[in-house]
Amino acid sequence: MDATTGVSLELDDIQAGALYERPSPYVGTYLLLCIRDRRDGRELVRRLRRLVEPATAVGPVGETSVTVAFTYRGLEALGVPQASLDSFSPEFRQGMAARAAVLGDTGESGPERWEEPLGSPDVHVAIAVLSPDETQLEQVAVRAREAHAELPGIELIWRQDCHQLATGRTSFGFKDGIGQPAVEGSGRPPTDPRERPLKAGEVVLGYPDETGDLPPMPVPDVLGRNGTYVVFRKLHTKVAAYRSYLRARSATRAEEDLLGAKMVGRWQSGAPLALTPDEDDGELGGDPRRNNDFGFGDDPRGFKCPVGAHARRANPRDALDHEGSVDVRLHRMIRRGTSYGPPLPEGVTDDDGIDRGIIFVFAGAHLKRQFEFVKTQWLNDGIFIGAPLESDPLVGPRDGVGSFTVPQRPIRRRLQDLPPFVVTRGGEYCFAPSLSALAWLADLDT
Amino acid sequence: MTAADDAAIAPGRSVGPTSEFSLFFRVKPGEAAPLRAALTSLQDTPGYRPGDYGITIQTIHEARFVLFDDDTRLAFITSFDGPWEAYMDDFFTSGPTLALFDAVFNHVEGYEGLPDVAAVRSFVLGAEQGAAAYARNYGGTVKEIRKAQRVNAAFQAVLDHPQAAEALQHPALQPLLDEAAD
Ligand code: HEM
Repeated sequence: MDATTGVSLELDDIQAGALYERPSPYVGTYLLLCIRDRRDGRELVRRLRRLVEPATAVGPVGETSVTVAFTYRGLEALGVPQASLDSFSPEFRQGMAARAAVLGDTGESGPERWEEPLGSPDVHVAIAVLSPDETQLEQVAVRAREAHAELPGIELIWRQDCHQLATGRTSFGFKDGIGQPAVEGSGRPPTDPRERPLKAGEVVLGYPDETGDLPPMPVPDVLGRNGTYVVFRKLHTKVAAYRSYLRARSATRAEEDLLGAKMVGRWQSGAPLALTPDEDDGELGGDPRRNNDFGFGDDPRGFKCPVGAHARRANPRDALDHEGSVDVRLHRMIRRGTSYGPPLPEGVTDDDGIDRGIIFVFAGAHLKRQFEFVKTQWLNDGIFIGAPLESDPLVGPRDGVGSFTVPQRPIRRRLQDLPPFVVTRGGEYCFAPSLSALAWLADLDT
Repeated sequence: MTAADDAAIAPGRSVGPTSEFSLFFRVKPGEAAPLRAALTSLQDTPGYRPGDYGITIQTIHEARFVLFDDDTRLAFITSFDGPWEAYMDDFFTSGPTLALFDAVFNHVEGYEGLPDVAAVRSFVLGAEQGAAAYARNYGGTVKEIRKAQRVNAAFQAVLDHPQAAEALQHPALQPLLDEAAD
């Protein structure tokens, strides 16, 4: 029972990695497995079940965690009964590649250009191992490898390592992972004191959500309850193009930093524009008690933080409260993103051809009204801010070029010819079941 | 919402950023008069009075309630910015609008009433009918149109200035000068 909210979550049944922060700094590995033989598949799940820690087992700061999730095809390969498969959300059943047109994954980001085997029906099991250091990672990774290596019916089809860059920032140079909602019953206090913790059912299945209802939950209960949907996307970042773009439009380094911050809504240090609109404040950026304590209500026109900035789009906070058309609490998400690839050395503006970016990870109970809503209505589109032709300046898909408006007195600045800076390399919709569901899956005898 | 619900709903049509949305209800026998009264009092609510332009949902272009078939049926017809299925959940957690509509819906068949939001939701979605045809005569979201009106008002104020003609001579202002003659 959470003393502050009176909600009890069955933390001993929920995968820790789905609910809690990753360590920082971190190193990690993502593995995708294909189940070629059903019996081996169930044995794999039995072994993975022993590696997964419940949310009760972790301390206040992130420790090594193993998170296991399945795609629709994976559950099918394990022999989950059809009636049960049919009870999962429609988006999950379709899979991410089938949602490409909706999500804006077209052109360079289209599934036909995705990295093999992402988006293919062979992706069955996704495992994330995240650790504070290489030694611990290796210990757990070895056990994860043992879980599948000696099973001939299980094939490792993809591996992606990730690590926090030495700067503690992501490839574009920004601190990431700051804005996160708190969840009732999780025992973790909010970092944004203006945002009441979300109802548990927004993140974990089996509990009432913000609408007062139980989120639609797969059957049987043991399979759905205490589980959560997980989205992962490998997002390549065009860092050289991003830097060149900013450089070409700035007279000074300071102006470059400001334009970059206007696009994100935070300075590179993480300090929010809403609190420090004119210059970065490293101390504020690094202070978890203050760096998420702000709203946009006092800045409706976006003079401090543009209404089109990435973080303001992704979480408008109080900015839309008076509009009566949107309840921001229905569109929140837990993010567990990590960085992959080496940084582009400071100052370089020529592309070195190396793949770098983020593994975007979402956890939530509603694929459609959380992940897909934020992606399609707030990042890909500008209808909600009265700028239908503008998409997110940092992560928005743009077939040709786009624009971005920076409100400022006396005259707004409009950045034109904005190329895409982020390309989807692939991804999948997964379901991270509870510990008891893992046992249920291992014991299936269909 | 379950998968079955999803399939049953015929989404409305869109033109540019705007979607149409229409609901059709059956009036409870004998309740036509109180329903008309409820609509009159909705019409008297601040924001909904002619000239107020203050509908609580600010992304709505316009909305009407129509009684037809000898007051046995009620239609609610509107258009709003954004794809409608994305915003349905939000509508049902938006207290002020639901409370206003509650007084109207109470007079139509099948309505169980607040506070069961889930029941209200499936009731409303069950009454939705997608248009067979839908056209608009201007593009733009409510936000853009309001901005355009503010900008035009400002422009007219500039034109009313005694030195406007002189001030608009700069080549950068040619597009404005082109709009200044009438
Ligand atoms: C390569 C792609 C992306 C990059 C580089 C990126 C970067 C960032 C950065 C720098 C921040 C501000 C720091 C923070 O609050 O953590 C942020 C915030 C956020 N981003 Fe992204 N992001 C990316 C893609 C996405 C996508 C695809 C989504 C959702 C579909 C998303 C959702 C969010 C959310 C919800 C926040 C927090 C906003 C808040 O609570 O203030 N991001 N992102």
